[in-house]
Amino acid sequence: MKISFSSLRLILLGVSLPLLTGCATLSQNKPNPATSTTVNDKRDGKSVNPSDDDLDDYKNGVSIADPLEPLNRGIFWANHQFYRYILRPLSNAYDAVLPQPVRTGVYNVFDNVEFPVRFVNDTLQLNFGRAGQETGKFVVNTVAGVGGIVRVSDHIPSLANVPAADTGQTFAKWGIGHGIYIVLPVLGPKSLRDTVGLAGDYALNPVTWISFGVIGGIGSVTTLAISTPDSARTLHGKLDTYDALTRNTLDRYLAIRTAYIQNRKQTALK
Amino acid sequence: MKPRTLLLFLASLTLIGGMARATTEEAEKHLQTAVNEVITAADHTSSSSALETTVRPILEKNISFDAMTRHAVGPGWRQFTQEQQKEAIHLFTTLIIRTYISKFTPGEHPIITFKAASTPAPGRVEVPTTLLYKGSHYDVTYRLENTGGWYITDVVIEGVSLIANYRTQFDAQFKEGGAISVIRSLTRSVDEKR
Repeated sequence: MKISFSSLRLILLGVSLPLLTGCATLSQNKPNPATSTTVNDKRDGKSVNPSDDDLDDYKNGVSIADPLEPLNRGIFWANHQFYRYILRPLSNAYDAVLPQPVRTGVYNVFDNVEFPVRFVNDTLQLNFGRAGQETGKFVVNTVAGVGGIVRVSDHIPSLANVPAADTGQTFAKWGIGHGIYIVLPVLGPKSLRDTVGLAGDYALNPVTWISFGVIGGIGSVTTLAISTPDSARTLHGKLDTYDALTRNTLDRYLAIRTAYIQNRKQTALK
Repeated sequence: MKPRTLLLFLASLTLIGGMARATTEEAEKHLQTAVNEVITAADHTSSSSALETTVRPILEKNISFDAMTRHAVGPGWRQFTQEQQKEAIHLFTTLIIRTYISKFTPGEHPIITFKAASTPAPGRVEVPTTLLYKGSHYDVTYRLENTGGWYITDVVIEGVSLIANYRTQFDAQFKEGGAISVIRSLTRSVDEKR
């Protein structure tokens, strides 16, 4: 199967742009600096300042249009059961079968191969310095790290902590709004913008090219299952994050939605 | 402006600047001490269940749970009776401590790098840090307020504010049934089997 990825990205952009622009409302979650208050009461040794402004500190909470909420909640519930009863045991089995050094090696190799996703997006964001860092990382890890098995770049300060760029982030930097909130089956929370971005990430991922170009059919699906950003190799960490975010909440759905939007906002600033 | 007035004005500006710096440094120092205390306690604890008992007193000493609860509930807080406020603070304290502790895995030692703090408003300081934990880097910002001493009032991990996250959930509960609904859902969450 032959795909022209630049054409695919253009088509996706063309289809989604009218839907994305101006749909989302993402506002600051940072307390308003103008709402400084004075100490006027004390309880348990710590002062309390219940002025109107103080209580409104987080009034500009994080929001996104969620017109599909009933449907989203249904998919969210199904995902929750799927993570709990299918993916968690699978992730545990993966961890039990492969020793930690092997898992780390597998993770590193695929992470290294995904270099084009990060490089192209850094370039599209005109962040040439970071694109250079990504190139340096790729060269160092491929050559000195035996095909990316060892992340030698972690020991080079200038290459140790380079934020990973993705297509959704590029759209955000281009000023495209989130659009509506969508909960995808299995993949979980996404905004419309990031769903299109995810398709872009797949298109830029060399493993996708190899899967569909060489292997084809069921083989390609299997390869994708272990190679994509939401695959078995990253599952454990993702499930841990999911558990941490949904534990001790009043409403799991709202907790995940708010956390997702806040986190994507932070990613867009990097 | 007369030279003497100008001199006085400049001197007062310098003094104010110096005081602000001192305040920020005080908050940073306080935070570093608190974080180090928690990490040391976590290092000496072998199980997650024991961690809550060990770390709880340190967190209670350094976090303003009153302020956290008020911020998380928002303007609806005024409609809580004094008893309801006490109950909400008590329940929310348990949830916050559990949430905070769930981030730790016994035996894993985080490395924290403190960056330059900022002062978004008088009496408030934000301290950005980088956390290296289990081989991954995280941006963690601590928000502190001076309410008769420096207390942590929010923790923002990778852009996700703990309090903003609860605010969305509290808002929904408050709209549904006021203070009673908030307290009921807090109780349900605290009682939930972990």
